[in-house]
Amino acid sequence: MNPLPRFAAATLAAIATAIASLVIAVPAYASKDVVFAVASTFTTTDPYDANDTLSQAMAKSFYEGLFGFDKDMKLIPVLAESYTVSPDGLTYTIKLRHGVRFQDGTDFNAEAVKVNFDRVTNPDNKLKRYGLYKIIAKTEVVDEYTARVTLKEPFSAFINDLAHPSGVMISPAALKKWGSKDIAFHPVGTGPFKFVEWRQPDYLKVEKFDGYWRKGYPKVDSITWKPVVDNNSRAALMQTGEAQFTFPVPYELAQVLKAKTDLELVAAPSIVLRYLSMNTLQKPFDDVRVREAIAYAINKEALAKVAFSGYAVPADGVVPDAVEYSVKLGPWPYDVAKAKKLLAEAGYPNGFETELWSAYNYSTAQKVAQFLQQQLQQVGIRTKITMLEAGQRVQKVESWPDPKTAPVRLYYVGWSSSTGEADWALRPLLASESWPPTLFNTAYYRNDQVDTDIKGALATTDKTEKAKLYRDAQERIWKDAPWAPLVTEELLSAHNRRLTGVYVMPDASFNFTDIDLR
Amino acid sequence: MTRYVLSRLAGLVPTLFLIGVLVFLFVHLLPGDPARLAAGPDATPETVALVRKDLGLDRTIPQQFVRFVDGVLHWNFGRSLSTKRPVAEEIAERFMPTFWLTVWSMAWSVTFGMAIGVASAVWRNRWPDRLGMTLAVSGISFPAFALGMVLMQVFAVDLGWVPAVGNDDWRGYILPSLTLGAAVAAIMARFTRSSFVDILGEDFVRTARAKGLDERHVVIKHAMRNALIPVVTMMGLQFGFLLGGSIVVEKVFNWPGLGRLLVDAVDMRDYPVIQALVLLFSLEFIAINLVVDVLYGLINPAIRFR
Repeated sequence: MNPLPRFAAATLAAIATAIASLVIAVPAYASKDVVFAVASTFTTTDPYDANDTLSQAMAKSFYEGLFGFDKDMKLIPVLAESYTVSPDGLTYTIKLRHGVRFQDGTDFNAEAVKVNFDRVTNPDNKLKRYGLYKIIAKTEVVDEYTARVTLKEPFSAFINDLAHPSGVMISPAALKKWGSKDIAFHPVGTGPFKFVEWRQPDYLKVEKFDGYWRKGYPKVDSITWKPVVDNNSRAALMQTGEAQFTFPVPYELAQVLKAKTDLELVAAPSIVLRYLSMNTLQKPFDDVRVREAIAYAINKEALAKVAFSGYAVPADGVVPDAVEYSVKLGPWPYDVAKAKKLLAEAGYPNGFETELWSAYNYSTAQKVAQFLQQQLQQVGIRTKITMLEAGQRVQKVESWPDPKTAPVRLYYVGWSSSTGEADWALRPLLASESWPPTLFNTAYYRNDQVDTDIKGALATTDKTEKAKLYRDAQERIWKDAPWAPLVTEELLSAHNRRLTGVYVMPDASFNFTDIDLR
Repeated sequence: MTRYVLSRLAGLVPTLFLIGVLVFLFVHLLPGDPARLAAGPDATPETVALVRKDLGLDRTIPQQFVRFVDGVLHWNFGRSLSTKRPVAEEIAERFMPTFWLTVWSMAWSVTFGMAIGVASAVWRNRWPDRLGMTLAVSGISFPAFALGMVLMQVFAVDLGWVPAVGNDDWRGYILPSLTLGAAVAAIMARFTRSSFVDILGEDFVRTARAKGLDERHVVIKHAMRNALIPVVTMMGLQFGFLLGGSIVVEKVFNWPGLGRLLVDAVDMRDYPVIQALVLLFSLEFIAINLVVDVLYGLINPAIRFR
């Protein structure tokens, strides 16, 4: 006797019925609903309290600022129409757009501008973006559609700061109702979509705002932002059609997605610069010949192919091309013989040993670190690699209190100058005031003339003068070579061919003003 | 019995307190300043100081510990350092998806695993045994993330029978619970088999057969209850582990569960979340152990408590 076959038959029948019901039930999609599959969860919907690009990009669904960037990082007026600045560079008078309403029905006017700037500049609100706006001394309402902002000292990058994704206009009525902390859970802005719900960590849904000031927009009915951390799962979502847009596309999956006929792969230039900084306070990196040798020893074209699958461009300066006032000075040539000669001149004919740290530990960074190690080996520099995770990075590099004892030597890292102009690409990285733990000058670089140039460029509003000062600064930095600039990454995204009008901007944020779904 | 349960519950409090102290100390020993991590790399030092004050990290360690204990006693576990939402809310939102995924995975894997185990034991060394144990070994050896990705590729992308991710309806539960249950089913199968094989060799089974009972009665009515003791222990342990959220499955299927919450919290040094989660997992294990002990008494009346 064998009870097995009876049980087996019953189980098999049950499984078959279940599978049949799956295949028969087909979901139907009606209105124009778009799903974005993104790589990490959002930290908050309040751009003034976010420091990750993704949360700020998502907040563009319901928030807008006085100024903004178009898909090529060019400054455009949004809620402002025009501005004038006083000759001493301290007072900005901004004329606002008429006829704009917040999603709760209240009007947008100069009072709203004042409320928002007062909020972020008040240190008691403890907002993470305080540092970007603390230059504001006061904001005044001149008349209903004119606001005047007075700065503490001249800062010619101010309008770029306002275009930064954090500089948004939140409804004063909503701020009063929910308070500075809880507004993050009930966002009300002037943007094309209204906030519907945020099911942490699942998804965030926004739907069309019928009272949007730009008539005829938005062209779709809703967007669902879905964080999907695993690369393969994100790619799977695109292939099944559950998502219509995804960023970033991991390089190893680029070919798979490219082969699908209903998907389109887009590689966009970025302002993310990857470089190798060298601690100029420590031997042997205090000798410019050693630093130049290291820059000569690295084959940047090969690096782009090996680590970034070709989706990167060798860096041709210390400031990426898409950033305003950048100067093309390179790329630094690849010359192993010259590197060896320079090392010999500096007294290291047989190379030396040192440490190579990477600020990130994801797979692309690992490939880069290993590639750099191999390249430096060829000129005799033997490196020990350490991949730092976030906490270690903060402890060993960013928060290290004493520059003289800082353990960092060679450091692979990247930077995105999110205000789109040279001040933020240079000052936090190469000015002597920015040595850790203050900011991010991990090369501990100091050049008094460069410092003067940077300060001077901030103080003047004359564009030609600024361009001259930034050119001088960049040329000096290039000559001093505190870094080996490596590559400018390309931003790889994929979208369903039925979806148009969604772009990844050079700062890795998204532009979806013209979003449409066929 | 009631006295036993109550005395076990009373032992909960000092255990949890000890765990709380240990995890608090440990978490504060991790390298990396949470204020700097939360504020981001391009924050100025003033912003970092503001964030530090905001998060309550500018107080001394003893002060922070007192605040923590005080909060727990009032059922307030603080706010997450990265999202500023109450920790209780963050955990509550993710608890149910993890719980249901665990329940469904355990349901099918225990049934399946035990069935295979019993069949393997009864037809020992014959083809059901060989087949069953091969399946079991594959289930344990095949890495969960690989299994998940393969299932997703075949059933979601290529065949389109189920959605790739999502827990909105029952269809989204299928692939993740299959992946999660595979290892559990395999372990269950092996445990059940070995436990059964032991029991089937016992004297009382021989007596039952000698009395003329048919095989099915012997196996299901008599041998099963005795063989269940080690199996139930293992089930309890597995349930406890799964309730902690399987990070790998949650990552692959984008499941909004507790595993991902814990890993993200450790990454960002989100102290309140880490502390609350560790306390929760400890509480879960203690509760499960208690339930398992009570179940022993129910299964086998010979094991009863004073």
